[in-house]
Amino acid sequence: MKYSYITPRKKSAFTTEIQLLILFFSITLGMLFITYLFLLFKDYSFVEDMNDMALTQSELSVEVSQMKEQIKFIEKENLLAQKIYTQNTVLKDSITNLFDLVPQRITLSEAKLLENGLILYGMTPNKDVYNFMLQAPLRSIFHRTYSSFHPADNGWLRFVSTNYIDEELSLTEEIESED
Amino acid sequence: MLGRFFESLYNKVFVNIVVNGSTTDVYIEIHAQRGAVENVEDSFNTTKMNKEMLEFITSYTEESPFFYISVLDMSPSQGAIPTCSKNRLSYYYDISASEYKCHDEKWAYYTSKSDLYDIERNYKDIGVDFVFSPFSVLANFFKDKIDTHLAMYILIQEEFLSLSVFDNSKLLFSQHLNMEHIHENEDLLMYDNDEDLDLEDGIDLEDIDVDDGDNSMDDFGDIEDLDSLEEIEEFSDNKDVEEEFYHEEEEALTDSNEDTFNDDYQRFTLIQSSVNHFYKDDKYESKFIENVYVADCVGISSDLKRYLEEEMFLNVYVRHVELAAEVSELAILEVSS
Repeated sequence: MKYSYITPRKKSAFTTEIQLLILFFSITLGMLFITYLFLLFKDYSFVEDMNDMALTQSELSVEVSQMKEQIKFIEKENLLAQKIYTQNTVLKDSITNLFDLVPQRITLSEAKLLENGLILYGMTPNKDVYNFMLQAPLRSIFHRTYSSFHPADNGWLRFVSTNYIDEELSLTEEIESED
Repeated sequence: MLGRFFESLYNKVFVNIVVNGSTTDVYIEIHAQRGAVENVEDSFNTTKMNKEMLEFITSYTEESPFFYISVLDMSPSQGAIPTCSKNRLSYYYDISASEYKCHDEKWAYYTSKSDLYDIERNYKDIGVDFVFSPFSVLANFFKDKIDTHLAMYILIQEEFLSLSVFDNSKLLFSQHLNMEHIHENEDLLMYDNDEDLDLEDGIDLEDIDVDDGDNSMDDFGDIEDLDSLEEIEEFSDNKDVEEEFYHEEEEALTDSNEDTFNDDYQRFTLIQSSVNHFYKDDKYESKFIENVYVADCVGISSDLKRYLEEEMFLNVYVRHVELAAEVSELAILEVSS
């Protein structure tokens, strides 16, 4: 039963001091929780970075191995290029030498360079000039030499000189020369 | 839920303020879950809140957020009405400027709204949670008697008398009497007698005649035969042992102080005029009063008891009451309800 003329003021356990205390602890806990979340995020981020790095590392290692292969291939190409360059130089020198071999009395009309041979078309005043002045040096260079003649309108002889170098023989020669 | 848990951790501090004449009694009771754990009391020579009182109260209220400030209403414009029906209230008293409260849906007590505001303004530094009527205190104090007896119940304070007549918990009549008013005006409220009372010279019981008081006792019938105390005692067969003991104690005390004597006589005249009013006013259901229960918080002399017994032929039972503790009890009842 109510006896009082007035109703009492609302009482609360949450006084200003308690409210301040709760606020303080809430802020502290909030900051701790935020720090915990931040650390969780950083940990997750670190793991992610680590995975990314591992993936990048594996990709890079693959790339490195590919690049090593490419380097090897390029080195091989380089070697091949050098070899070709050398061969071309040699060929150029050979051609220069070949044309130097052709005496002034013989006129070349066509020359075909084959993989392992040389076909020369031309005119010679006679067979002896050809045999002595051109065939002799060709024989020293090529393993097999075949010549054919047929008379021209002006009394000279048209000739076709087919010369071959046998690969097996050339290799044997190279080995022998290296030894 | 959390609030209740916190509430159970704190003690409840009941601060009870009772203005007693020119002093203010502050009674503080601290309750834990298991019951009262401490009570302190102090008296201050002021009727307003001062720094000393504020510090005393604050030193206890700051221990717990669950403190309740209770003030006993000392308004002269208060009283009780023998009905709780809103339509019937104005028949007894114009309550337009008053605040009223029903007691058990049987009767109502009221006080002036402006006096309530004054109380709240006076104690604004600490705030007020409860303002109790002396009639609530009286009803609660004599709860065991009111429910089963037809009697007059009087709460005697330093400057006020709260008088009520109950018939088996039904309020028949009530009046709040201001002694200070009597002092100031040298007049007796509600006393229809034109006879001057020489209060300064005191009253000698030898001079008091049963026929005094405007034949106000005529209504009691032929009572001249009951002029001996032995016969009066017959009315007192059912006196409580406690009250008898109190009576003997009171008689043992040398209460010959003239001021007390005068005050008690004033009280007697106020009671006498009030009873006269009760019997004569048609508004109230008149019943013959044989017993009077007095809640004494000022230490009345045995003279008052004797006046009442000899002049009004009442069986008087006096109980000493610690008013502030009773106010505290009401506050505890309010909080626990």
